[in-house]
Amino acid sequence: MISESLYNEYLAALIEGDKKKCHKLVKDLLDNNISLYDLYVHLFQGSLYHVGHLWEINKISVATEHMATSITESVLTLAYPRIFAADHKGKKAVVSCLVNEYHQIGGKMVADIFEINGWDGYFLGANTPKKELLNMIQEKQPDMLALSLSIYFNMNSLYDVLNDVQKSSPELKVIVGGQAFRWGGRDVGEKFPGVEYVPSIKDLETLLLENE
Amino acid sequence: MNNHNLINTNCPNLENYLQNNAALLLLLLAPDGRIIDANKYARDIVGQEITGENLSSVIVDFSNTFSLEQTLEKNEISHLFNVTSYTGLPQTFYFRFIRQGENILAIGELNHLEVEDLRKNLTSLNNEFSNLNRELHKKNAELVKLNDLKNHFLGMAAHDLRNPIGAIQNLSEFLLEETGDKLNSEHTKFINVIHSSSKYMLNLLDQLLDIARIEAGKLDLDIRPTDIIELIKSCVYLNKVLAEKKKVEIQFHHYERFPDIELDAMKIEQVMHNLLSNAIKFSDPGSTIFVSAFLSNEHITVSVKDEGPGIPKEDIEKLYKPFSKTSVKLPDGEKSTGLGLAIVHKIILGHLGKIWVESKVGEGSSFYFSLPVKSPVKK
Repeated sequence: MISESLYNEYLAALIEGDKKKCHKLVKDLLDNNISLYDLYVHLFQGSLYHVGHLWEINKISVATEHMATSITESVLTLAYPRIFAADHKGKKAVVSCLVNEYHQIGGKMVADIFEINGWDGYFLGANTPKKELLNMIQEKQPDMLALSLSIYFNMNSLYDVLNDVQKSSPELKVIVGGQAFRWGGRDVGEKFPGVEYVPSIKDLETLLLENE
Repeated sequence: MNNHNLINTNCPNLENYLQNNAALLLLLLAPDGRIIDANKYARDIVGQEITGENLSSVIVDFSNTFSLEQTLEKNEISHLFNVTSYTGLPQTFYFRFIRQGENILAIGELNHLEVEDLRKNLTSLNNEFSNLNRELHKKNAELVKLNDLKNHFLGMAAHDLRNPIGAIQNLSEFLLEETGDKLNSEHTKFINVIHSSSKYMLNLLDQLLDIARIEAGKLDLDIRPTDIIELIKSCVYLNKVLAEKKKVEIQFHHYERFPDIELDAMKIEQVMHNLLSNAIKFSDPGSTIFVSAFLSNEHITVSVKDEGPGIPKEDIEKLYKPFSKTSVKLPDGEKSTGLGLAIVHKIILGHLGKIWVESKVGEGSSFYFSLPVKSPVKK
């Protein structure tokens, strides 16, 4: 588990832009064999939500928020040797952000959660055009598609993509999630039967266990 | 503060803000371009001691084309300048020049669209970089798994093939010894082919097992203090039998008294046998192989020098790669698995030593390896 004092130390370093300290804290946790779930949910996700909240209440600038995100992207790589060493079950997921979505870290963490659970998690990155996404689905033939949305105003782009995905790959299981759904859109499954809103990483893990 | 106003606005609060807080670079210039005063932002960006300097010493103007007078005459609205900042990195500001009495007020500001573009591009590049990094780790993990699988398969296949091929070799040897002149010459030739082929295959399988073991991280070294001179002498002695068959001489020189070296004796014997058998293989009758050993900087260096055909420069990099063949033609009747030097390389690296070769086509090759006297490898 992540202790409160360690969490606070990491968060302070993240906001100060002290990449070296963040690296050291995460490396020590990994050396002490911390569970990847704890690391992802309680440290990375928790601290990024905290940073996002500080930005929303105008306590930190957008530059600080971007720096914190960049540092998190960088410390994620420390866990990769463990994440990608997991035994694979032969299942594939394509994870992507939509066009005009520049916040990619949530999507990337979701792709890593797929890997931790023995799936191949292909992450397409931020600002992915619809055509590129549809091509990738054809190429990889995934068992699941996960779409990340961080800006509520891009909800219509999501509907547009879902429309096309359901036409071209009607059997494909699609899940959606991200910070945009705090403001609405959780009823996406009613508009697009078969599409599931997944509110948290914990729910994603439960879903993956059900899909084994 | 000088005895004039940097900004005259009739609004003290606004003046105070522009002087101390605004993210605008404000310089009050004398008609000759000398900086009379600067606000806090300008001093923070350019340096605290800028008053008294000339504007030309603050801006980067390699072509020396800027003229303050002409700019004012033309009434230019905006002029791009790269300002030498305290960090040493130039920063671009868009300047406006406004007459203020006999002096000139220079106002520099950042282009927010440019900054926004930069931020977007940086974010996108950072995303791209971190995604490539992720992809690289993923591919690397896949390659490691495939390599493990290959080694597992190699080890299993080699192990299962070893017993039947060993039986073929032993029985063909038995047949050659026992049948004597009972077989006609053609049949004896056939059995000779079976014997030499199975011997080659057995050697290949042993080397494959070695490679598979080493690549699976199972190069277990039994590091002990060893009299390396005795070890080399024993290897030279054993290889002399083979060398004499080809009328090749082996000489071993060493000039110093050596301390015991910390190494895995069996593995270093394997290295020596391999280097010596290669040297013999490529030596012409009547030639000599020189083996020597010397100490320097807490390391022992051993060399095996032959007078063979030598190795072309472009082949040297390939030498330690498994199954790689060089352009050097093997003498008649000689065979190579292409694994020997790969194993030698891995054994020396496992000891945290070094291996290298010096060679000249037509003159011969010298293989060197060096090992630390005190092994840093955990025992």
